[in-house]
Amino acid sequence: MNTSTRNRVDDAIGKALSIALPELEQPNRDAALTSDMGLDSVQIMNLVMEIEDELDISIPVDLLSETRTLNELAARLVALIDEDGA
Amino acid sequence: MSLFDKFAKLAEARAALGAEGPSAIATPIESVESASRGRIAGREVILAGTNNYLGLTFDPDVIAAGREALERLGSGTTGSRMANGSYAGHRALEAELAAAFGWPSAIVFSTGYQANLGTLSGLAGDGDYLLVDADSHASIYDGCRLSRAQTVVFRHNDPDNLDRRLSRLGDRASNALVVVEGLYSMLGDQPPLEEFVEVKKRHGAWLVVDEAHSFGVFGERGLGLGEAAGLLDDIDFVVGTFSKSLAGIGGFCVSRHPELELLRLASRPYIFTASPSPAVIASTRVALDKVLQGQALRERLHRNIRRLYEGAEAMGYRLGSEQPGPVAALILPDRATALAHWQGLLEAGVYANLMIPPATPAGLNLLRISMSAAHSDEDVDRILAALQDMAAAMPSQAPSSAVSA
Repeated sequence: MNTSTRNRVDDAIGKALSIALPELEQPNRDAALTSDMGLDSVQIMNLVMEIEDELDISIPVDLLSETRTLNELAARLVALIDEDGA
Repeated sequence: MSLFDKFAKLAEARAALGAEGPSAIATPIESVESASRGRIAGREVILAGTNNYLGLTFDPDVIAAGREALERLGSGTTGSRMANGSYAGHRALEAELAAAFGWPSAIVFSTGYQANLGTLSGLAGDGDYLLVDADSHASIYDGCRLSRAQTVVFRHNDPDNLDRRLSRLGDRASNALVVVEGLYSMLGDQPPLEEFVEVKKRHGAWLVVDEAHSFGVFGERGLGLGEAAGLLDDIDFVVGTFSKSLAGIGGFCVSRHPELELLRLASRPYIFTASPSPAVIASTRVALDKVLQGQALRERLHRNIRRLYEGAEAMGYRLGSEQPGPVAALILPDRATALAHWQGLLEAGVYANLMIPPATPAGLNLLRISMSAAHSDEDVDRILAALQDMAAAMPSQAPSSAVSA
């Protein structure tokens, strides 16, 4: 795994969380977004759009449906960025 | 564990609504007596929570055409168009829809939901891209899921955000289908269509406009926002429904590309379902003619819309859209206030819609009032008076205090 990309993704997720979901303090990045954190689809969509802006990438909807936690999302985004050479 | 465990949160939400008052979800309309009048719990109410924008559901000609077809052709087609359900009326309605737009092809679907499902999943396949507005209707999202295309969401009504996504696709944008709506029913707002058209043209992408709520309402002939904006030459596909201005059940896709006809061989929601009944087709054909000739109805509708918007704004209500349209969404500060408004209006004899999270954008609590050409001046007066009473009865939660929410 590309460490610098992972750091960039983690930073972007942190910034996106603070903008889209400021009420979530220190969220557990291994918690399930829906069942554990209680996020609804609109909140997840807003979070993803903030991440897209931070990283200047487009995140396919399918990738979200296959992702349970923020750490899983980060790993998928690293793969997406490395694949696209972004 | 059981199959139903996953519904626990839905059950909680429904129970909470029931504890605070009558359930807006479960309130039955006992009878519908005209395009603007119904009966709920034994009382006559003004119907201001339907999408009967031109009020054609009780038009005598529309009803007569449906009745005649029911008696002459029977109650149902008993099959799909592909197998055994393609009647002359289906093709005639498709020809009339295509002619209305001046385009070569139209396809009728059995519901508006299936129109989006069948169009998007049929047009976009493996290796293609669907770019959809974040506030899109569920049928658009479901159409994306049924397709094998890669789906990306762009920010609501944000052409710059779409531009960045298309830029990332580069040459692949020629395989991208952009999907927007002519009017978004939750907040009643409209897209900046001219800017979206400019972006899609610059990237060589394709554009679908879902005119479900705007067909019949905007444009000289009622063809929707695309016609009103003078952009029909730049739109590739228009999707619509029969269940709003056309006063029936069904849907359509019409296109300036004759290749749309091939969709009949590729669209599962078109192929694997029963075709619309003869009565629905016959009544829709008459309703379509009345929509196209319906300038007076549209003038009446827009007069009602203006009065409602201006009245609600003067009371301090915050509306979901600055552009007046057939759906007036009042943004209220919390669920309790929204529920109280919905209940207060019902007690005053006005049936509106309560919309609460998670069904709403940005977690908003909404009271949604749908206007119709069938509403009289007195109806609009009564709706405004009911709103005024709600604002006056809850000074601690006056709408004006909610405008910063």
